[in-house]
Amino acid sequence: MHLTRNPELLDRLAAAYALGTLRGGARRRFEQLARDHAQVRAAALLWQGRWSAFSEVQTPVQPDAAVWTRIANLVQADQQQAQWRAQRGAAAAAPQVGKLGQALSWWRGLALAGSLATVVAVSVGLWTHHGLQQSTQQQLSALRTELQTTQAALQAAPQIQYVAVLADGKADASMLVTFDPRHNQLVLQRVSGFREAESKSLQLWALPPQGAPRSLGVVGEGRVAQLAVQETDVKAVPTLAISLEPKGGVPSATGPTGPVLFTGALIRRDL
Amino acid sequence: MDLLDRVARREEPALKLLYDQTAARLYGLALRIVGNREWAEDVLQESFLGIWRNAGAYRASLSPPLAWMGLLVRSRALDFLRRRRAERLHLQVAIDDLAEIDALTQEQMAPGPQQGAEASEQAAALHQCLQRLEQAQRQVVSLAYLRDLSHSELASTLKLPLGTVKTWMRRSLEQLRKCMARHV
Repeated sequence: MHLTRNPELLDRLAAAYALGTLRGGARRRFEQLARDHAQVRAAALLWQGRWSAFSEVQTPVQPDAAVWTRIANLVQADQQQAQWRAQRGAAAAAPQVGKLGQALSWWRGLALAGSLATVVAVSVGLWTHHGLQQSTQQQLSALRTELQTTQAALQAAPQIQYVAVLADGKADASMLVTFDPRHNQLVLQRVSGFREAESKSLQLWALPPQGAPRSLGVVGEGRVAQLAVQETDVKAVPTLAISLEPKGGVPSATGPTGPVLFTGALIRRDL
Repeated sequence: MDLLDRVARREEPALKLLYDQTAARLYGLALRIVGNREWAEDVLQESFLGIWRNAGAYRASLSPPLAWMGLLVRSRALDFLRRRRAERLHLQVAIDDLAEIDALTQEQMAPGPQQGAEASEQAAALHQCLQRLEQAQRQVVSLAYLRDLSHSELASTLKLPLGTVKTWMRRSLEQLRKCMARHV
């Protein structure tokens, strides 16, 4: 008996198909019929619509307030990434003025976007077009917590005036940066398992709003690294970045030659 | 709900409003599917990020807003379970929590969905029809859909004989089918 001439059977099969309990050969036969007959497709669609209401009739349960905070942070990061892309797109569209000019305009764009950052601007996914990964997010939220703790500590120990979280879009790389102007000391703390190769060094750069990036030094290999930095070097700097360079780093005037692994906004705490 | 349209235009405050209005319902759904609070929070988080990024696609789907979001949450939740299954980590936890979650959502049909602007007519119809089923039969149909389970998967999840599951399912489907037909 043909299914289209048996509305009752068609309805029953369509309901089971849309619910998901029609399996195996029966499911494949139904799908074949649906391809051939609009009436069968219509019945399946009707039931898919009806069953979709299952998602609306579940008992509401209030989620933890922290969930919204995480979503808001992710959305912020997303917005910022869109800004980056727009700016990089604009930079690419500008007439080419030689390699150096291009590189500079890119760095300016980076610095500008950094200055647009709101609270703790964690810039993510600059160098990757992949979506934000879950583990990154967990790391980032852990970092944010750590940053909040740090900021709380800042109030207790006001000699630390600047703080930044440097991050990327990959799974395992982040750094927490604090600056103590009293001792002219910049402290970098590795928060993830990222390790550069033996033949490479990480180099920290200040990205001023105008002009080329300036080297702040080469980051040591330990979990915590300290760099001697004058406050004037970081005072008006909205963004820090870390690039992967040949062992020992490159001269400041050269600018970064390797890929930028992490960036983040430098936040000044006004005392 | 024009909130989704506003979210599609990248208005962050609209996302917050949408969250305030729907998070409890969608979290309840995610919890019902993944059976663990922490996982359900992850699913909710991913889903809202998905809503934020794909709200523009909502109009084209022709679904009621909450149904559209519900489908998104369900699909994220099922993906989540699949990933867990692949990692072979989930089974014990999922079963441990199942009883708790079921207790939590046992009364799912009792209060009824709030028939506010956000609930669709489909939801009202399904709700009414589900209420006419026995609790156990409701559970079987509900889980089959929400967790995308086959008869034998249902039997092992609910620790029931396969024959019982099949009988309940057949009866429930018949009743629902006739009842839903009256709602057009």
